[in-house]
Amino acid sequence: MDEYQAQHYEGSPELLMFLASTVHDMKNSISVLSGTLENLIAGSAPGSTPASAPPASSAAGQPEYEQLGQMLYQTRRLNDNLIQLLALYKEVGKPGYPFDPAAHRVSELVDQVRGQARILLQSRGVTLDVDFPADAIWTFDEDLIIGVLVHAINNAIRYTRDRIRLGIRIDGDYLELRVEDNGDGFPPAMLEAGVDAMRTGGNKVNFLSNSSGLGLYFSSEVAKMHKHRQRHGGIALENGGSGALGGGCFILRLP
Amino acid sequence: MNAETQAAGGIDWAEKRYLLVDDFVGIRQLLRESLRNLGAKHIDQAASGGEAIVLLSKTRYDVVMCDYNLGDGKNGQQVLEEARLRNLMLPSSVWLMVSAEKSVESVMGAAEHQPDAYIIKPITEGVLLTRLNRVWTRKQIFREIDQAFADKDYLRAARLCEEQIALYPLHEIDLQRMKATLLLKSGAPEQARAVYEKVLEDRDYNWARCGLGKIRMSAGEVEAAQQMFQAVIADNRFYIDAFDQLALSYQQQGKHEEAFGVLEKAAKLSPNSVPRQRAFGQTALKLGNIPVAEKAFRKCIEMGEYSVAKTVDAYFGLARVCAQKNDTKEAIRLLNAAVHQFGGDQVTLRAKITEGLVYHETGDYRRARKSGDELEAMLADDSKQRPDSTTCLDMATLLFAVGVKDAPVTLLCYVARNNHDNAPLLEDVQKVFDKARMGDEGMELIKSSRKEAADMMNTGVLLWKTGKLIEAVEWMRVARKALPHNMRILFNSAQILISQLHQTGYVRELADEAIGVLMHVDAIAPGQLRFAQLMEQLAMLAPVSGVVAAAAASEYEAANGAVAE
Repeated sequence: MDEYQAQHYEGSPELLMFLASTVHDMKNSISVLSGTLENLIAGSAPGSTPASAPPASSAAGQPEYEQLGQMLYQTRRLNDNLIQLLALYKEVGKPGYPFDPAAHRVSELVDQVRGQARILLQSRGVTLDVDFPADAIWTFDEDLIIGVLVHAINNAIRYTRDRIRLGIRIDGDYLELRVEDNGDGFPPAMLEAGVDAMRTGGNKVNFLSNSSGLGLYFSSEVAKMHKHRQRHGGIALENGGSGALGGGCFILRLP
Repeated sequence: MNAETQAAGGIDWAEKRYLLVDDFVGIRQLLRESLRNLGAKHIDQAASGGEAIVLLSKTRYDVVMCDYNLGDGKNGQQVLEEARLRNLMLPSSVWLMVSAEKSVESVMGAAEHQPDAYIIKPITEGVLLTRLNRVWTRKQIFREIDQAFADKDYLRAARLCEEQIALYPLHEIDLQRMKATLLLKSGAPEQARAVYEKVLEDRDYNWARCGLGKIRMSAGEVEAAQQMFQAVIADNRFYIDAFDQLALSYQQQGKHEEAFGVLEKAAKLSPNSVPRQRAFGQTALKLGNIPVAEKAFRKCIEMGEYSVAKTVDAYFGLARVCAQKNDTKEAIRLLNAAVHQFGGDQVTLRAKITEGLVYHETGDYRRARKSGDELEAMLADDSKQRPDSTTCLDMATLLFAVGVKDAPVTLLCYVARNNHDNAPLLEDVQKVFDKARMGDEGMELIKSSRKEAADMMNTGVLLWKTGKLIEAVEWMRVARKALPHNMRILFNSAQILISQLHQTGYVRELADEAIGVLMHVDAIAPGQLRFAQLMEQLAMLAPVSGVVAAAAASEYEAANGAVAE
């Protein structure tokens, strides 16, 4: 499979060039779309200026504001799906995938994830709590991990009532990153897909009938690419008990 | 936002000058909006690489955000290269390369001109600010190291790396990487090896594995090196530096077929590299694969239009290809184009050599002889600098082949004198004599040339050791004039000048002379321990650190062209 795909890949630079330029174009469109929506949302919250939006709750309930939020949410889903499809095409987890681990401050990771999710969370009336060790440094591929965490937050927006928590802690030889919500938890099929994504051998992917399977596959491959002294990363989905908020919980562990 | 900006790292991003480069107007507007939210007031925009270069040559920007994919013409990487090579950026300037997806370029390694950071669309203010602050901090940490690097004071730069590692653990890996590079440039491969091995204990960094492979290769452990490069390729089939190094190792073993195979893959993965296409073309030419050689050289020339890395070698290579195809007319046209576009004595000389080869290969012996005579006349002009040793050997071979006798003998003696203790090169010289059926005569000539050089050097060293410093300095000037490319003479000459400076105290003229000598030797044979040591001694003598060396380096480049890779 891999060998065949590699030949297919190396053998058709024209197709690759075409895909690259199409993706470039689509990314531009999505960038403009989501950037414009963010500006509109920041500006249209009642009684607010773009620089300092009021608490989300006061703006919620306004139909136009909610519709803009819905549009932004869908645009972000489109972006996530595009990134993940592309990663699938470029064989995320395989030797050819661009992977660039480096030492980063955990606080900077949190800042960037929070910055990407801020307007969307505000427009949906969801509060984001963060909890992380202030001075921690860890080695990981920043772009990929931001992608995984932002996707997990976008996903949690669907399941949460009104609160999401990004909790990061050092657990022995691992960095544990949790995205928890206070909703009713993930459906059973999704929990199963989470288990399947981490199953080694056979390379069986449970893509479900919607895109959550793709997201989980992407996240698990990114986790597994992170290796350090014979250990590699992983993901897990849980409901209730283990999370501080009692709802669904996405867990990413990096060696 | 401003308060946040200040808190994030004490940097005021509002007062900086920004340049946005993207062919899509919607993106430029969006980014301008983001920058304004950070407080920025001075923001310029360019829709293409060409426009960007025009703006860059007018204004010194603090931050450039450039899309990698700019449609037709230059891509983002080429704009970056041109900006850096033409000094259109301040050392403190930040270059952010923007791309639509996680780019292969960011992990390919080896690109000499890396942006300060890659950033993926869609760009949010939070990510932008974090990356800007990070790059800025990194530049502060590396500022003194980069300065010492630019001044070629490699040993001091390596020590600075060590100091910074203790202060900034977050940047330890980056600093270790830089330190290893500096140690290699200082001719201390064993110390560099220790750095790579230490880093590899922690993680399998591909740059460290490649670095280690390069050290093994130059230590003669070619097969071990090849295994390392192959392991890197197995781990990341885009790590282009490993391909280039693997090809080089095959060439060293004389395995041109294998080198060709590796270069073919590398050129497919990343076709837009002038040096790679040149190596590919030259290897193909060696193997007689004319269609591939032609394609590679043409690609080289085509890319050269947009790149400052353009090379005259592609023109000479393509001219040889044309000769193989019996198209003398096109070959001569290319040689004229090369002289016209690149100019200079060296190019003119090499064009004339290639012209002779083209005529010789196409069987036009009368014209080949005429080229030979013209070359002989060019060589007779002593005021002109001789080319590098390889070109000299090519020229001697050609001159013998077309029936010229005295000029190639003089040339080969010149090479022997300038490389009197370089055994492999002297063997090559002997081979040229052998091919011209002058084996015995050649052996005698090489022997006397070597003795001549050794005598000159010994006289200088004796004067120095007996304390006749002024006479020693004077004598070495004479020796340098006679043997301008002899490494031993150059190093001893610099050493004697430094001894003199120790006695007299710092004298600008003497220091400049020593620096000039050292820059020259570093251009001929980079990565010598003695170079690093002498540069360090000089830097310690100088009243103001670095400034003098930097000035001398640029003077040298102005007089001799950029130092070749």
